[in-house]
Formats: sequence, C-alpha cells, structure tokens
Amino acid sequence: MVVGIKDSVKLAGISIVSCCAVFVCTLFLNYNIDLPAIKGRITTEAGMAMFDAQVLTGKVVVCVTGCCLVLTSAVMLLFYVKNYIDAHGKELGILKALGYSELKIARHFWVFGVSVLTGCAIGFAAAFLYLPDFYELQNEAGLFPELPVQFHPLLAFFLIVAPAMVFAVLSVLYAYGKLTKPVLDLLREKREYNLKYKKESTKELSFLQDLRRNTVRSKKSLVFFVTFLSFCFSAMVQMSTSMKDLSSEAMGFLIFAIGIILAFMTLFLSLSSVVKGNTKTIAMMKVFGYENTACGRAVFSGYRPFSYLGFALGTVYQYVLLKLTVSVLFKDIENLPEYRFDYKVCAITFVVFILVYEMVMYSYARQIRKLSVKHVMMES
Amino acid sequence: MIEANHVEKSFGSRENVYPVLKGIDVKIQDGEFVVILGASGSGKSTFLNVISGLERPDGGSVLYDGLDITKLSDRLLTAFRKETVGFIFQQYYLLPNLTVDKNVRMGADLASNRVYRQIIDAVGLSDKLHKYPGELSGGEQQRVSVARALAKQPKTLFLDEPTGALDEQTGRQLLDYLCKLHDEYRFTVVMVTHNQNIAEMADTVIRMNSGKIIESYANAAKKTAYEIGW
Repeated sequence: MVVGIKDSVKLAGISIVSCCAVFVCTLFLNYNIDLPAIKGRITTEAGMAMFDAQVLTGKVVVCVTGCCLVLTSAVMLLFYVKNYIDAHGKELGILKALGYSELKIARHFWVFGVSVLTGCAIGFAAAFLYLPDFYELQNEAGLFPELPVQFHPLLAFFLIVAPAMVFAVLSVLYAYGKLTKPVLDLLREKREYNLKYKKESTKELSFLQDLRRNTVRSKKSLVFFVTFLSFCFSAMVQMSTSMKDLSSEAMGFLIFAIGIILAFMTLFLSLSSVVKGNTKTIAMMKVFGYENTACGRAVFSGYRPFSYLGFALGTVYQYVLLKLTVSVLFKDIENLPEYRFDYKVCAITFVVFILVYEMVMYSYARQIRKLSVKHVMMES
Repeated sequence: MIEANHVEKSFGSRENVYPVLKGIDVKIQDGEFVVILGASGSGKSTFLNVISGLERPDGGSVLYDGLDITKLSDRLLTAFRKETVGFIFQQYYLLPNLTVDKNVRMGADLASNRVYRQIIDAVGLSDKLHKYPGELSGGEQQRVSVARALAKQPKTLFLDEPTGALDEQTGRQLLDYLCKLHDEYRFTVVMVTHNQNIAEMADTVIRMNSGKIIESYANAAKKTAYEIGW
C-alpha cells in the first residue's frame, strides 16, 4: 500500500486545527441546544435579553470561528495530499504503469481522514469536559436558572464522525483528480510550472532575483498559507484583546489561543514545505558555492510581502467583523461599550508578529545549513 | 596543482565500518585532463567528492596549490567551491523552474561573468535560451549543466559519469564540446567514469579498485570523442 496510517500521523497540524474547530463548535452548539430548555423559566427582561444575545453569539462564533477552522483544515489536507503525490510521484507512477487504476490507488488516501477523526474526537472530548465550567461562565451574572450539561449523540456524530468521513472522501477525490495525469508525468515528477512568464523571464534579473520570484510563483499554495497564517495571527490576536470590553476574558483567551495555534500550524506547514520543496535547489546552490544566507534569502524572502499583506487583511477583517457585530447584531443590547479601533494593540501585535515570523524563518534558515549535499544526491 | 595525500574515507557505524578509500595519493597538474576509471563500488565517486570539497575525508589531506581544503571551515569551503571548482553530474540537477538562461546564470553570477551566453553558444543551445529543463532532451540538459559549470569560470571541473544517462551519439557530442572548451579555456578536468573508452581521451588515467589506485598512466596519443569506441 502506498499510503498508510503512518502517513496520516504526519498530519498533526490538521488534527490540531480540527481539534480547535470542534472544541469551539461543541461548546457553543451544545450550549445552544441545551439553552432553550430553560427559556420558559427565565422571568426577568434582562435574562431574556441575555438569552437572545447568547444564542446569537453562539451562532456567530460557530459560523465565524468554526467555519474558518474547517476551511483551514480542508485547505491543509488538500495541500498535504498534493505534496504527498508530488513527493511520491515515482511510486504512484509505477503503480499506474503496472495497471492499477487511479481509483484503486486514490482509495488508499482515505487514511488521511484519520487525522481529522483524531482531532475531532479529542476536541469534542476536551470541550465536553470543559462544558460545566463553560455553562457557569456563560451564566456569570446569575440571570439564568441552573442549566445541566446534556450529551447529544447526534451532535457527536456531526462533529466527529461526519467531518472525518467528509475529509476522507475529499482526500480520495482530490487524490483521484491529481492521479489522472499521464503515467510518464508522474514518473518524471513533472511539476506544473507556469510557462506563461516566459516573456518576463527574458528581463535582466540576476539568478537570485529570478529564483526568488520563481520560488514564489511555482508554489502558489504556499503563498496562500503564508498570507493566511499572518491573517489568522493578526485577526485572532487583535480580536481577542479588542473583545475584552465586549465579551468575557475566557472568550478572549479562547480566540487568542486558537489564533496562535492556527498561525503556528500554518507557519510550520508552509515553511517546512518551502524547505522540502527546494531541497535540491538549495543543495545545488551550496555545491556551486552560494552561501547559506544567500540560499535562505532566495527561498524565504519572497514570502515576506505576503505575510505583511496577510497581517493588514487580518487587521481590517477583525475591525470590520467586530464593528458589524456590535452595531448590527448586538444593537439592541443595552450598556454595550462602543467599539473603537485599538492602534496600540495593532502596533504591539505587529511587532510581536515580525519577531515571531523572523524567529521561525531564522530557525528554518539554520536547517538549510545542515542540508547535506551528498544526502540530497543519494536521494535522487 | 591538486595533491591528495593518503586520503581515507569510511562509511557505516562503529561496529560495521566499511572503508571506501584506503589511503589514496594523487597529483594532478593544472590544465590536465584526468579520468578516474573504475567499476561500481570502487570508490571513484567518493574520491571525486573528497577532492572537490563536497565531502571531508576521515584522514589525509587535499591540497590546492598548497592550501589544505580538508582543514577549511564550512564557510571557507563554500568560498573555495565558489572560486575554484565546477561540477557536472550524471543526473544534471538543473533547477526545473528556471529557464536555460537562468540555470547557466546560476554559475555565471558567482563569477560576475557577464559574457556567459558565449558558453551557451559554445554548447549549441543559443536557440533554447528561454526553454525550461522539462522541455529539453537529456543531452540538451547535460549541455546546460556543462554551460552552467563553465559559466562560473572554474579552475577545475569535476564530472561524475557525465555521459551515464546519455545515448552514444549524444554522449560523444557532449564529450566533444567538453574537449573543445577544455582546449580553449585550459581548466583542469577530473572525470569519473566506468567507460574505459572515454579514458582514451584523457592526458592521465587513474584506475581504481576497492578504494585503492591500482594503476596510473599517461596517454601517449589522446583520441577525440569521435575516435574512441563506445
């Protein structure tokens, strides 16, 4: 078998993101399912307003955070399947040459759904253990009667089994699509380079400038990831600190933690893919006498502008989202403070972001130094 | 001059040491065309890697005009490779997402060589300047790697089985290009091959077996790429 359970273990990043998504969704969905049971027993006007606000908050959080995390998991999974097929093109090509059909090979990619199953199960279990505290936190003001935590099997099915099944099918279908290439293209590990830049490539750019530009262009999925990671970091960190007046501290912490986890997962995945995808290039540059710093710069620095773009988009996104939430969704709630853009938080987050990003880049640049030329040659 | 003295190299763990080079001594003069001949597993590629500075030996020294490269730090060894040597491998190792022009420029930029396109002309690829490696035949790809290596104007060119993946006609053509460029630029050539016929083109032939030099001789009458057998 080409793909095994061992390969799905490598998808820890997807498990973690799925875990976060299911954790958040379980908290709010379980609460929203249980909450109507006490609606008839709420006697005060303030209690009813709080009831409506919490139901609405639950829906917004599940939609915004849950959907965002599910989408991230899906993109990460497809990215991993694509990388797997690129890296194992020869083995897959041989199987096809021997007569195995695309579907027969693609079928084995269901195991990638295991990583989602693991993440979802852990996220659901962790959320369920935290639910009693979460219910208390939601009723901090004591406006509701006591609300016992109920287990909903259907919710467990939709948050654990269903996503795993959907992601397994998604992996198989995506792998099937990628495997429909001609056998020789797989055997020769032919990459889909975009040749439409031919005319531009006649411009007098130096080798390093051209390599930097082509490294970015040949892996557009990585551009997406780097932009997305900066977006997550920027949006989630700023949102969590901006929400201190609008929501509970626990909620702020939750969003902050998820933002950080998401940012690091995508950063780790994208940069390790950048290094892996350019190993031969770096090795050859080292053979020819290019210094480690030149190799690192050529491979990594092309992504820097996209990280800043992601940060800017994240800043705008969190501002617009919070402004809309406060002025449209929560407009009937009394005593809600006015939301204003926090320049100080934005500046601090930006500095922290640059520090974190550059530190991670530096550690990957150090990995390049350890790349053995001979090892790369032996692999080929 | 390149001088290898008692070069030793082993692979494997402590319990299972496999000696690949067993005390090799070689002297190569500037501008010389040397072929290292041997069967698979004779240690010829490892020796090439060691004398070119790609790998460090376990013992012995490798001197370039008196400078022992085995004692250099990684940074200095990189600088040494940049200024002194060029490489051509059996598998070409071209950068697939860059055109022929940019692949050759990889070597040229290191030597600030602004007239590198002359070398592309010399290997007969001036009409393929903006093609990608995936659009070229094996022979053309190997010629790009020759141009890339020579564009950095190396004092010594190391070749590891450069015709190993080529058919006879393309192989002869490549060797012919190489000889012409060697005659023109007078760099030192050290080529590893298992093809005994190619050895007839060299000034000096070093025959290796089981990590040792078993024979070393000068060719009285060198042959051209089209005169040798295949």
